[in-house]
Amino acid sequence: MSEIAASDIVETVPSALITLDRNLIITSANRAFYQTFRTNRSETEGCMIYDLGNRQWDIPALRTLLESVIPHRASVEGFEVEHDFPLIGLRTMLVNARKIYRAGNEGSILLAIEDVSEERAARKESKRAWQLTQSIVDTIRDPLVVLENDMTVVTASNAFLNMFGITQAEAYGRRVSELGQHQWDVPALRHLMEKVLPENKPFENFEIEDVFPVLGRRVFNLNARKISQPGNHAHRMLLVFEDITDRKQRERDALSLANEISHRIKNNLQIIVGLIAFEVRSTPKPCVQGYRSMQTRIGAIAQLYDLISHSSRGGAVAMDAYLKEIAHTMSASLLDSTSNITIDVDAEALEIDPERAVPFGLLVNELTTNAIKHAFPKGKGHVVLGARKVDNEVELTVADDGVGQTRSEVVKTPETRGADYVAIFVRQLGGSILPARDGEPGTVVRIRLPLLVGPPTVEGLAA
Amino acid sequence: MAVILIVEDEIFVRELAGMFLQDWGHSALFAGSVEEALQVLKSATTIDALFTDIYLKKAVYGGCDLAREALMLRPELRVLYTTGNRATDELRALFVTGSHFLGKPYTPHQLQTSVDGLLQV
Repeated sequence: MSEIAASDIVETVPSALITLDRNLIITSANRAFYQTFRTNRSETEGCMIYDLGNRQWDIPALRTLLESVIPHRASVEGFEVEHDFPLIGLRTMLVNARKIYRAGNEGSILLAIEDVSEERAARKESKRAWQLTQSIVDTIRDPLVVLENDMTVVTASNAFLNMFGITQAEAYGRRVSELGQHQWDVPALRHLMEKVLPENKPFENFEIEDVFPVLGRRVFNLNARKISQPGNHAHRMLLVFEDITDRKQRERDALSLANEISHRIKNNLQIIVGLIAFEVRSTPKPCVQGYRSMQTRIGAIAQLYDLISHSSRGGAVAMDAYLKEIAHTMSASLLDSTSNITIDVDAEALEIDPERAVPFGLLVNELTTNAIKHAFPKGKGHVVLGARKVDNEVELTVADDGVGQTRSEVVKTPETRGADYVAIFVRQLGGSILPARDGEPGTVVRIRLPLLVGPPTVEGLAA
Repeated sequence: MAVILIVEDEIFVRELAGMFLQDWGHSALFAGSVEEALQVLKSATTIDALFTDIYLKKAVYGGCDLAREALMLRPELRVLYTTGNRATDELRALFVTGSHFLGKPYTPHQLQTSVDGLLQV
């Protein structure tokens, strides 16, 4: 029974098996052997192994195994033989050998031959791909580094090594947080990096400024993403350091230039405000309010420079912030600290292009001044500056809870040229004044304007 | 009424500020640079408050540096800064504790309100 079972096993295992006698003559082989090496029983049994199939098994490595290694050891495992067989081509085989000690068969050898060619080829291909990757990595100017799951360096580009003044060997196996003087050990960065692999959450634009041994002071933008190698389940992280030092410097230069210009403009506006203030000293009381209005108009223009320099270069100005600044300045310049009139803002997050911000600011300034001047004879009340998007337009509202104004106090003949400031600014912005609604307390002035971002409309220009 | 040292490199702006302070009954002292201001501060003159521009000639944060030195000389001194630039958090971080700020352009009315606030306890 046991004899039959053993031969059944021999015939069904996927490894090629052969037995040799002490003279290296093949005494038996299994089906897997015949299939793998495209031969049969009659060509095989009784043949010396080296003579098999036009001596294609006369391989130096196999001779070493059979003649030098086996005689001294009971078994050998994982002996690798690479050989170009005439019939089946280049093969890599893993040979396990075992001496058989059985009566009548002393000195026999059992060889199990496993064809690992494909596996080896895949491994070679993977290694080649990795080398290719490494050579590409080395040609990229931006420093980059590949990290293992535990944040240790697997490979680093030449640019990265230069950055820290270290060698590939010194970088390998170290954590990014341990590099240099531990200057990259930043909690915010660590937090981001810890999420890249488990949550597959790449990050971009983490900015870090530092002094490097060779490069000096530099600003880097860090990006990281998960990378997977084909045929490998392990994930690694690619961390790229984009050098943005020059860009950053240009931005700083532009900012300091903007600050310089803003400083000069504000100083000049301060002089104008001063000139007006000087006039006020010798002006009869009834005229003082007019001069004060002039000062707040100048203030409205001045605030723009703060907001423009604060917004992105050439970008739009946040309308709600602008309205708040105007409200704040008007409160400070027109109302005493003891005043019972308050100015508030209730605006959506809309934007306005810098070109149209001046007439917009002056328009709000005029309407608010009108409200303060006419709506509250008892010196008590509330003004709300509002802006919201309605249909495809901006609706600007200046609402007070005062005694109500006549239309001529709000605006004079808006459709004709000239008239007053309100009419001029509304025309300049390409907008229109909506008719007053009945039954509202106080006065609510509603003005529809084209969306204030983007080029002015044709009507706006024609008006 | 108080003695206020005005530090401002733009003469017209400085003179006018002084004029208004005097209108309201204060006394004004004048300086056009950090160095001039320090000379005044090192003298024996009574000074209650320092009203300084921040960008003084070439010194971008001259007013901030001045206020710090001034406080070492006179710890009781009140400080009001002014500048044409935006008062960013970065800038405010350079201000001495308890100081006030007034942006340019300011009206006489705003200056009066700021000075009143500065001189209160």
